[in-house]
Amino acid sequence: MDLISTLVINGLATGMLIFLLAAGLTLIFGLMSVLNFAHGGLFIWGAYTGVWSYQLSGSFIIGIIVAIVTGLLLGLITEKLIIRPVYGNHIQQILITLGFMLVLQEFIKVVFGPNQIAVSPPAFLQGSFYVGDVIFIKYRLFIIILGLLVYFVSMFILKRTRIGLIVRAGVMNKEMVQSLGINIRLVFMLVFMVGAALAALSGMLHAPYSGVIYAEMGLEFSILAFIVVVIGGMGSFSGSLFAAILVGIAQAFMAYYVPALSLAVNMLLMTVVLIFRPQGLFKAKG
Amino acid sequence: MMSSLLRLNQVEAFIQKFHILHDISFEVPKGEVTVLLGRNGAGKTTTLRTIMGLNKVSKGSINFQGEEIGNLLTHRIANKGIGFVPEEQGIFGELTVGENMRVAMKKEDEQTTKRMEWVLDLFPDLKKFWKKPGGALSGGQKQMLAIARAYVNENELLLIDEPSKGLAPIIVDKVTESIQQMKEQTTILLVEQNFLMASKIGKKFYIIDDGRTVHSGQMDELKEDKVLMKKYLGIS
Amino acid sequence: MNLAKVEKSTWIYLAISLLLVIVPFIVTGRSMQFIIIQFFIFAIFAMSYDILLGYTGIISFGHVMFFGIGAYSTAIVMNRFDSTILSFILAIIIAIILAAIVSLIVGMLTLRLKSHFYAMLTLALAGLFLVGAEKWRSLTGGNDGFTFSLPEILRDSQSLYMLCLLSLVLIFFGLRRLTKSPFGRVLMAIRENEKRTESLGYKIVHYKVIASVVAGVVASFAGVLYSISLRFVNTSVFATDMTIDVLLMTIIGGVGTLIGPIIGAGLVEFAHHWLSSLADVHWIFERWIILYGIVYILVVIFFPLGIVGTIQKKFFNRQNYQKKKQQNPRRKLDEGRKEDEDELYRNG
Repeated sequence: MDLISTLVINGLATGMLIFLLAAGLTLIFGLMSVLNFAHGGLFIWGAYTGVWSYQLSGSFIIGIIVAIVTGLLLGLITEKLIIRPVYGNHIQQILITLGFMLVLQEFIKVVFGPNQIAVSPPAFLQGSFYVGDVIFIKYRLFIIILGLLVYFVSMFILKRTRIGLIVRAGVMNKEMVQSLGINIRLVFMLVFMVGAALAALSGMLHAPYSGVIYAEMGLEFSILAFIVVVIGGMGSFSGSLFAAILVGIAQAFMAYYVPALSLAVNMLLMTVVLIFRPQGLFKAKG
Repeated sequence: MMSSLLRLNQVEAFIQKFHILHDISFEVPKGEVTVLLGRNGAGKTTTLRTIMGLNKVSKGSINFQGEEIGNLLTHRIANKGIGFVPEEQGIFGELTVGENMRVAMKKEDEQTTKRMEWVLDLFPDLKKFWKKPGGALSGGQKQMLAIARAYVNENELLLIDEPSKGLAPIIVDKVTESIQQMKEQTTILLVEQNFLMASKIGKKFYIIDDGRTVHSGQMDELKEDKVLMKKYLGIS
Repeated sequence: MNLAKVEKSTWIYLAISLLLVIVPFIVTGRSMQFIIIQFFIFAIFAMSYDILLGYTGIISFGHVMFFGIGAYSTAIVMNRFDSTILSFILAIIIAIILAAIVSLIVGMLTLRLKSHFYAMLTLALAGLFLVGAEKWRSLTGGNDGFTFSLPEILRDSQSLYMLCLLSLVLIFFGLRRLTKSPFGRVLMAIRENEKRTESLGYKIVHYKVIASVVAGVVASFAGVLYSISLRFVNTSVFATDMTIDVLLMTIIGGVGTLIGPIIGAGLVEFAHHWLSSLADVHWIFERWIILYGIVYILVVIFFPLGIVGTIQKKFFNRQNYQKKKQQNPRRKLDEGRKEDEDELYRNG
């Protein structure tokens, strides 16, 4: 019993981290049909800058803020320099974002060195407590709560504010949104920046969770996010939360029982969804 | 001499590598309903999309209120005061009717609220289905919503693309009536295949054939000109 | 065979090939020969990628999996059996059959998908192969990889050079033939306009699957040569960096030209060698992948046609201009226009 609940909590925490990464990916895709292969690069930059300032200042909160700011700035740069010149050309977009991913990854090694960096959670999030015979690890609980918070705040913005309304409308029909006098490029830039910030936050939160950061983890982790985006339906925000939890829990159980197959199982899940329901489980319709 | 609100001069446009518009020239006088006629595929829809900036102008000029708008971005053109009701209506399917209207509203001042009330009086169905998703509306209701959305802002010019398409005759009458009411307040450029409807509300007409404006005149005269109608519109 | 019918360019390519035969007798330095051999191998790999990206318009981020299949098949066979020519031939056969089966299955499952999904899925699949190679240590030796021995003749640098050159030339002419055949023309039609090709009655998925099998088999063969040139294999043959390398070669050289990827492979291989030798001068050159990445991004933005494509376009435009004077090409465009406009909106 306690084993299963521990695995479920692990899965939820992993799921939340994947969700934060996938959320930006899915919104950017939904709004501009850009599949950003550089998203994992924003994840590692968030992790490295966040951890660097966390270890320098000793404050975890400062680390998180720095990661988010890095994400916003990198998002702005990526959108302006990388995505905008090839706007509307799918093949170029796919090619260029993968190239940029590699540049971001290698640049990490230039700035922070090629070695792994060990990270531990801050004192107030270390340790665990029992409820009955179920063990709760504080840091994992923290990730789950933060992830849910991000989800609900984002949902509120998407559903209740004018900018959220415009984003949702843009996912369905870009041309019409422009014809109503809205500067869709500005909206896109904003969404891109927020998506990048969420990816960076995900990287920062992931660091103490896995205990170590290294440059290649961006691409590895973003493959999970791609799987989630496909399963949840490209462009569907709630779909990506659902799929992220699904993949997170599957990952946690497989990692415990058959570690060699954990990626394979998720890939299988994605392949099955792609073959039988290529639009994903939740798909935003026009 | 009536001043013209919109003037196209020898406009050419491509879609991908296909040369669709070769020579489109016409004027839309202020306060009137001008109709673009022509067969399927003649380039009428492309003309409206080009005015809206959804298609690039490769040659020629588009002048709106004395200002060149040919190469502006779509949202800037819209903000000059041009409303667009596209052929496929462009309803946001998962947003409710109310949310569709809210996306369209540029301001939330008193005047816009007034216009909103007026529009909702014109299309009471929209009020009735305010919380229904746009995708769940019938074809006629979608068309009304699309027109209402273009109308809720104070626009100088409305571009309406085939509002009668695929609608039952009784709904067409309703749409016709609403456009007739609106033309009291705004200038309209209408693309229409339904000749009967077009002749009810239109004043001046232009015929587009093969990407060129080939003929123009007054709607009343066109009704009599059987030769012209047969040649370009296939109506006999 | 009627020699007069052979294209002029064919003679030029043959002449260059003959020149390359002489090279190892002039350049006797082993390391230089090794670099040229690597260039030949990557040229083959890049040409196989061009069949996908350049001729069919498919973006695969997992093409490296076939390269890796070829490399590991050879290494494992040569490691387990005697180091004879016979086992080498067996290794090639296994490499080709495995690559054909995998590319067939992957293609049939995924080529119906849109380009984004396909790119993503192939990236993930290649990731799976990488993880597989790391975890299945008994077979692959994991991350560290393993060395293996080769028959005498394949250990000799000059004969290896000739083998790789011969393979390059044969594969180049073979693929060139393929792209100029009716089959190749259908592939290019798919690249230009998938819907239209489909409406003409072609089953595009079949054509795409065949293209990906051809590309997979050729890439696997490049992998075979790669592992024998190193006499060593490790998981790096499945790494995404390798995919980026081959992308860079194809794109710099010029997609859809076959000769472009060869030139691209040469440029990248020699630049790689030169940049790594600069690592002593400044540590930044150890991170030459950054420079690659930046060049790659700039090429995608500013020269999407690559070197050969850009030259061809200039040349082609001049030719076209002269033709235009003689006839009015607009007529032909006009004929297809009406339905096109309709079609564009219905699908838009």
